[in-house]
Amino acid sequence: MTAGAARKMPAAAAPDRKARRAWPPRTGMRLLRLHGASRRVPAAIAAIAVCAIGLRIALLGRWDSYGALQLPLVFEAGSAAAITITTASPIGEPERVTGRWLPFLRLATTLTLTVIAAGALCAAGTGAHLAGGTLDVLRNLIGMTGVGLLCAAVLGGGLAWIGPAGYLVVGAYGLYTQWHGPALTTPWIWPARPSGDVGAALCATLVFTMGIVIISVRGAHDSVGE
Amino acid sequence: MTAVPAPAAARPLPAKRGRLPAAARLLRLELRHNAMLWMLPVAVGLFWFTTYRKAMAMPPLWNLRATNMQSGALLAFACPVAGAAAWMGSRETRRHTADLVTITARPRPARLLTTWAATTFWALAAYLGCVAVLYGVTAQQAAWGGPLWWPVAVDAASLLALSALGFAAGTLIPSRFTPAVAAVAAFFALGLSTQLIHGSQSYWQVSPIVTGPWDSGPDAGVGTFYPYLPDLSIAQVMFLAGLTIAVLGAVALPEGPGRGWLRRSAAVITAAGLLAAGTAVALAGTGKLDAHGMIAIPALHDAANDRPLRYTPVCSHSAIPLCLNPAYTSFVPAAAAALSPVLTEIAGLPGAPTRIAQAAATYQQGAGNAVSIRLAGPSMSGTPPVFHLPLPGQLPGPAMTTSAVAAAVRASAGFALVASVVGDGPGATPAQQAVVAALSMSASLPQSSPSAPTRQRPNATVPLPVPVRSAARRFAALSSSARHAWLVQHLAALRAGQITLAQLP
Repeated sequence: MTAGAARKMPAAAAPDRKARRAWPPRTGMRLLRLHGASRRVPAAIAAIAVCAIGLRIALLGRWDSYGALQLPLVFEAGSAAAITITTASPIGEPERVTGRWLPFLRLATTLTLTVIAAGALCAAGTGAHLAGGTLDVLRNLIGMTGVGLLCAAVLGGGLAWIGPAGYLVVGAYGLYTQWHGPALTTPWIWPARPSGDVGAALCATLVFTMGIVIISVRGAHDSVGE
Repeated sequence: MTAVPAPAAARPLPAKRGRLPAAARLLRLELRHNAMLWMLPVAVGLFWFTTYRKAMAMPPLWNLRATNMQSGALLAFACPVAGAAAWMGSRETRRHTADLVTITARPRPARLLTTWAATTFWALAAYLGCVAVLYGVTAQQAAWGGPLWWPVAVDAASLLALSALGFAAGTLIPSRFTPAVAAVAAFFALGLSTQLIHGSQSYWQVSPIVTGPWDSGPDAGVGTFYPYLPDLSIAQVMFLAGLTIAVLGAVALPEGPGRGWLRRSAAVITAAGLLAAGTAVALAGTGKLDAHGMIAIPALHDAANDRPLRYTPVCSHSAIPLCLNPAYTSFVPAAAAALSPVLTEIAGLPGAPTRIAQAAATYQQGAGNAVSIRLAGPSMSGTPPVFHLPLPGQLPGPAMTTSAVAAAVRASAGFALVASVVGDGPGATPAQQAVVAALSMSASLPQSSPSAPTRQRPNATVPLPVPVRSAARRFAALSSSARHAWLVQHLAALRAGQITLAQLP
């Protein structure tokens, strides 16, 4: 068989467009399940659930005003870290060269987990005194998840937790400066801003959008063997 | 084919690199391939953002900057160190090399401890680098005193403990999620453990983030007039060292049967560590706030630390010299300038102070975390009389700039000076009140009732009766020399309550 002949693929061997469109849903579900398993999505959901339960238990205690503001931030950072860890791929190159659906799978995984985390944390705060309220939780969660996703693009999914964890320190310091001035008022430190602050919400959303776009398109910067 | 004896192969000369002991070679490998290296920029960045900037905004006082550094640097390094240590601890299982390294000659405890040592080395190196920069800059700015090393020791011990705890978590639960949990848990434990502190006799003071009475904020006056008490720091270092030893002992416990002596040794080390940590917690619970604003633990207390520090005060060249502790040298010109109008008014009057001296405040534990701070002894004492004042910048609260301190001195000490000379107080006559008001007007002081010289500006303004205000305006309208001459002649009678409003010029 010559190279020229090889280039001319017989019509029967060419992938049928109709067949592609008629992709059986069961196969799609299987792909989703396998992708989720490879990214440890069940473990991430478990970690998010632990964070939500931890927040609920912590809210039962008595906190001073400063502690009450810091408290949700800690659990939001934990949930964001759990989401960003799922960007790590154990398969690496083979997956990248064969997976046509990979960007969409990454996007779906991250978005689904973010929605689950937001729902779990908001549910945990229902009926309790959640400082900042639901809007605060949503803003901080998506912002810190964005920071984590950007870290995953640089450091890899395994070490991406440093993004939310580091930003937790920055956010807590921002809250601290509200008591012991001069207060930090930049919207980039969104946990220190009121829940209705538009600038802070825009900054958090921008960081999340950047993170999710980069991670969906390029994936995490994972080294071989991790 | 005949058998020809082949020449014996020459034994290869040992390479120079091979002369390094195996443990050192392993450590070097671990140092080069350590996740903590990746975390260093984050830790140093957090230190700069949360600690260094804040310290530089404070007055250049060693005690203030060192105690701020202890809590700030610890929170900045906690997440990266605990997380990186957990990541390194879970490495063998995560990379599926556990079986591979089990059959190597190096025993498991030695292998694990080397990885932990490399992680901790990078954390400590970065931390000490940050301390060197902060202390170096402070040394150039500070006018008096020297670096405090106990806060540095507490932080260093904390990093060892955090690294050990994170490493143990990673070894025991080798999941990809463990480092994240370790990092967030470290922040939660350190940042929010202080919520449980109620009063100075709390066991939770053993938390390395605590530097003094909790909730009273940065206190510039502590460690300036009396030595910085190391009692609480000693208990904290003891607790952290015990915790580190116990955790590492538990991690080093060999798996499976055999190695009985190693197992026993590790168990003894773990028990000793737990004993030390428990003792430290018990000691921290016996602490109490001493009169100088620090936590004293009777079993660890050195009575020599109760003696005041010796220093030569720095004085201004104003009408009445204002003398401050040399640590506050930078405040002297501004504070003297702020008080200058008052000092000009009262200088030379009978009973006026010949010197204004900065005094230490005395502390008393109140209910819960409340601390009452007041001047020790009367504000005016001695012969010739000396007026004692605590500088507003030396009391707990947010750091004040030089101009803010000067304004606060003018508001609180200025009024207190005039009141003490004229004899204003709860039983003062209308004439005394009028003269105080007139002198305050002349010196452009805020019209307010005298209050304890604390950081808070007096906000309860007491309106004077109309006749008193009229007399005050009349007296203030006099020329400075006429006022002064009248006061020299009549101040004793005014203080004795023998002057009426009508007799005021």
